[in-house]
Amino acid sequence: MPGHAESPQVISRLEGKKAIRSYARKLDEPEVIKDLNITPMMDMMTIILVFLLKSFASSTSNLTFDSNLSPPKSTTLLKPKLAVSVVVTKKVILVEGDAIAPINVGKVDPTVKRDGENGYYITPLVEILEKHAKREKKVADLTGQKFEAQLMIVADQTTPYRLLTEVIYSCGQAGYANYRLLVLKAKGD
Amino acid sequence: MRDHVEEIEEEAGELNLVPYMDIVTNIIIFLLASMINQVSLANINVSVPSISGGGASAEDNPPPDKPPLNLTVSVGASGFTVAASGGVLPIVTKLPNGQYDYKSLTTKLKEIKSAPDNATETKANFSADANIPYDVVVATLDAMRITDEGKILFPDISFAAGIL
Repeated sequence: MPGHAESPQVISRLEGKKAIRSYARKLDEPEVIKDLNITPMMDMMTIILVFLLKSFASSTSNLTFDSNLSPPKSTTLLKPKLAVSVVVTKKVILVEGDAIAPINVGKVDPTVKRDGENGYYITPLVEILEKHAKREKKVADLTGQKFEAQLMIVADQTTPYRLLTEVIYSCGQAGYANYRLLVLKAKGD
Repeated sequence: MRDHVEEIEEEAGELNLVPYMDIVTNIIIFLLASMINQVSLANINVSVPSISGGGASAEDNPPPDKPPLNLTVSVGASGFTVAASGGVLPIVTKLPNGQYDYKSLTTKLKEIKSAPDNATETKANFSADANIPYDVVVATLDAMRITDEGKILFPDISFAAGIL
C-alpha cells in the first residue's frame, strides 16, 4: 500500500502546498470594505449646501407666481434689484406683501379711491408708500446716499393699462418716480 | 479581550456621520429641486415725466442745442401710433391674425434712430389705451428698446401722464 505509507516529509509538503493554495485563494478574494471613509464626501456636501443656501438667499424673489399673478415675458437682460415692491395681482394690490386695495375685474374698488371710480389716486396705496418713502429718505440721509425713489412693480400680464397707470400715479404721489417693472426672462436668452 | 478593547476605542473615537449625511443629502436635493422651479426674473426700467425739476434738472441737463425729439409711441386698438416733434407717422396696423406688429414698429423706430439728428436720442414716451393688457405694454417696450440685431433704440422710456 504505497499510498498509505507516505513519509512524514511528503505529508508536510502536501500540507505546505495546501497552505499556499488557501493563502492564494484568500488573496484572490476581494477585500470587504467594512468602513467607508465618508469624511471627504461630507466636506463636499457641506460646501454644496452652503453654496446652494447662499444662492437661495441672494435671489430677490420671494414672490409666488400663480394663476392670479403671472408676469409677462420680456427680452430685457437687466437684473432685478431690491426695492420696495408693489404687486398687482388679479384680485388685490400688495405693498411689500401686505394687501392694500382690492381689485374687481381689472378695476380698483372705487371706495378706496379719493376721487371715486374715475380717479387715479388710490388712497391706501399712497399712504403706505409715503411711509416707505419717508423711511427710505431717512435711511438715505443717515447713510449719506441719494434717495433713488425706485419701486419694483410686479403686475399680472392681464392687468389693463388703466390700472397700471392708476398704480403708477399713486406711486408718483408718494414720491416715487422710477419704476422697475419685474418681468420673466423670455426663453432662449 | 483585544477585540473588545478595539471596539471600545472605535466607539469612543469615531463620530457617526451617516445621519448627518442623510440630512445634508435631503436638504441638497430639496434645494436643487426648488432651484429648477425657480423662474429667472429681469426688469425694465421706466419713469414718469417729472413736473418739478427745479434747479437740479437745470444743472443736470444743459440747454439743448437742438429741439428734443419727443418721440411718443401709443398703443391703440388698431395698432401703434408713432409721433415725434416733426409730426405723426402713419399707424402701424395689427397683423391679419390680430396680433400687434412689433417688428414693423421696431423697423420704424430704427429708421427714426438712423437719422443723424436722433443718433444720440434715447428717450421716448409711451402711452396706451385704457384696456391694453400689460403683456402688450411690455412687448411694446421691448420693441422700442432694442432691435433683433442688438442695436439700442430708445431704452429710456417714460410713461406718458395721460391715457388715450
